[in-house]
Amino acid sequence: MKIGVLSLQGDYLNHINTLKELDISYCKVRYSSDFDCIDGLIIPGGESTAIYNLIEKENLYDKILEFVNTKPVYGTCAGLILLSKVILNNNYAKNIKSFNALDIEIERNGWGRQINSFIEEVKIKPFNEKFRAIFIRAPKIKSVNKDVEVLSEFKGTPIMVRKDNILGTTFHPELTNDIRIHNYFSNIVENHKVLC
Amino acid sequence: MMYLGAESVFVGSGIFKSSDPSNRAKAIVEATTYYDDYDKLVEVSMGLKDAMEGLDISDIPEESLMQNRGW
Repeated sequence: MKIGVLSLQGDYLNHINTLKELDISYCKVRYSSDFDCIDGLIIPGGESTAIYNLIEKENLYDKILEFVNTKPVYGTCAGLILLSKVILNNNYAKNIKSFNALDIEIERNGWGRQINSFIEEVKIKPFNEKFRAIFIRAPKIKSVNKDVEVLSEFKGTPIMVRKDNILGTTFHPELTNDIRIHNYFSNIVENHKVLC
Repeated sequence: MMYLGAESVFVGSGIFKSSDPSNRAKAIVEATTYYDDYDKLVEVSMGLKDAMEGLDISDIPEESLMQNRGW
């Protein structure tokens, strides 16, 4: 099993380090050909417009869309924005065309500006112990369709969601030493691989 | 910077004071993304006009020197 990390912009290196920690094969994904050898994809946090611009520039949109529709993908923060069906506050220099993988409405900078970034111990459904969730200029999930499972909430707002092979968090587990969410995702990838 | 583990590179006057800021900015963005792909670095560096001119410290007036600012 090999997991690719979209490495155009953002904190992809932290995801790679977490995968290393779990002893999972990984590769940086920056070109179309990189998709051929991976079983799952992580879209990291960063700046969603910057990531989207680089996706367009390298002509990766269709390749990622095809991957999202057939294989496991995990998006953190900006990565989750790109996976969400409806992006609110999407009226910056350029509109992002999302991959429409999760039927949720998400608001960019929904928790406020950089100064409003925060850390919170949160309960996550599949885990017994709480998780130290780091929110950095995080997006806020405003609504969730019933086919999307909410795995964690904070102040009544979903912060971790899943639909089949698609997983998303508005926070950054790759910035902690806690490997549980990456492990959870790698299990999704492993199970999907067995089924195919 | 990227080899040292940076996530991004912040560039100010290096872009604005170059002779072709828009193309230089695009090149720097791509060079940051593909920092370890040398063919790509050659490609994005082609056709750029002059970089920002360096300043000789002896030409900078006393009141503009950074080291004398503050208290």
